[in-house]
Amino acid sequence: MVFPNGTVALKEANLEVAPGEFISLIGPSGCGKTTLLRLLADLIQPTSGQIRIGGKSPEEARKSRAYGYVFQAPTLMEWRTVLANVMLPLEIMGFPGPERRARAEKMLALVGLEKFARHYPWQLSGGMQQRVSIARALAFDPQLLFMDEPFGALDEITRENLNLELLRLWRETGKTIVFVTHSIPEAVFLSTRIVVMTPRPGKIETVIPVDLPQPRTFETRETTRFFELATAVREALRKGHGYEVAE
Amino acid sequence: MRISPNLLPMLVVALVVLALYWPIMYLVNIPVAQRALDTGAALPCQTAFECASQLRSPVLPSPQQLWGGFVSLMFPLDSPNAIPLNAAVTALETLVGLLLATLVGLFFAVGIVASRAFERALLPWIVASQTVPIIAIAPMLVVVLGQYGVQGWIPKAIIAAYIAFFPITIGIAKGLQSPDPLALDLMKTYNAGSWQTYLKLRFPASVPYLFTAFKVAMTAALIGAIVAEISTISFQGIGKMLAENSRASDVVAMWVIMLASAALGIFLVAMVGWLERLLTPWRRAQVAPRPKARVAGREVGA
Repeated sequence: MVFPNGTVALKEANLEVAPGEFISLIGPSGCGKTTLLRLLADLIQPTSGQIRIGGKSPEEARKSRAYGYVFQAPTLMEWRTVLANVMLPLEIMGFPGPERRARAEKMLALVGLEKFARHYPWQLSGGMQQRVSIARALAFDPQLLFMDEPFGALDEITRENLNLELLRLWRETGKTIVFVTHSIPEAVFLSTRIVVMTPRPGKIETVIPVDLPQPRTFETRETTRFFELATAVREALRKGHGYEVAE
Repeated sequence: MRISPNLLPMLVVALVVLALYWPIMYLVNIPVAQRALDTGAALPCQTAFECASQLRSPVLPSPQQLWGGFVSLMFPLDSPNAIPLNAAVTALETLVGLLLATLVGLFFAVGIVASRAFERALLPWIVASQTVPIIAIAPMLVVVLGQYGVQGWIPKAIIAAYIAFFPITIGIAKGLQSPDPLALDLMKTYNAGSWQTYLKLRFPASVPYLFTAFKVAMTAALIGAIVAEISTISFQGIGKMLAENSRASDVVAMWVIMLASAALGIFLVAMVGWLERLLTPWRRAQVAPRPKARVAGREVGA
């Protein structure tokens, strides 16, 4: 992936994701992890290479509404209530009225916000807003979920709670999730595989399978295996000069 | 509607102005009254002090004169020479002008946002249109429209629209461009068409900007309507009353009409604020900073 100004954002990136996987892309800023996700989502187009999503090109996948996308910010419409925000994709995709409502209510229940359906976004905390945006991404039941540092702006405590909740959602819905993060513990805790990326030019350094047993709980973070895996990720990042070294 | 916390400070200022008004009024009127007495004019008063509050052409009218003028100009309510009917006509011109300006502004704003070529080709002309003094255009426009049988209040509404469309165009254009890039990406992931993106994202996002623009445009439209009434042949309206009383040198009446037009302006702008609260319920208790629209180079706060 080369940007018009000549910056090589992404070079060697070969990756295959199986249905039902939880893949994390981890790496320092500028390693092209968000670029890779945006390529998958057809928000930008590759200058070379090939991407297939269930046999389709990213453009076809986008047009057939094959994926939901959760951004760094909740990007809720401030003029819509929480329920109406979750109904937004359903309105655009032409679902019939009663079904929109039923689906949106079900999704809000799934993220535990059914009591806030009639609130406006500004009345919710940052973590709750991001849960609404996850409910919105799942409302039209896409098989794939792209998440771009969805919890990056939240405090550690909220983030750990939402990590647990996301894993529960993943188990209950059987979605395939591609998750961008720059937090090592988050990547280890959530993923079935971690894709370690390194910058300048962005490339995939290595892929680390995570064999922590499911379902994962708060205690998972305190196991020896968790620390071993976190160390492995850290070393892979260092090996690829993933750290900015002061000179 | 909740009472503004500014009410008390505002009342204090009003009282201070009123308290200062009296001595200043005497100060500027007494020399005039003295001259009138010296020339031996037939006055219903003996001393300059006494006459100062009863002059026919005072520098500053006394409060009791203003009150008298107010009563005589307000009633009967349906008189063609009283304020209520004329203010209603001016208000109608202003509101119709604002409506026309909104339609034109919407067209230009969508064009500016949707097409760079449109923006490059037309924006300079839109800006240039505002440099022509309204008082120079108004009489010509009335004559031209008159040739097509368009008469009465309609040309005034069109002149009001001519001034008001500019802040509205800029406001809507700002509002249409206000959505976060991520929100636009979001619409793309839904494979939303550009019409859907306007309907579900750009238009709702521009509503607060529209109201900010309305507050500026309302005052501008009112000025446009009154200027149009003054500078053309008019049979109704605040401007017509001002022109008439100016020819009759009726200072007291002009003061009363001026205050009435100020009240009309305040009322119309307050109406926009009220409508805004009604139509944007999600902003009611919000403490987030309100959008600022840049109009003709100066920041206009919401």
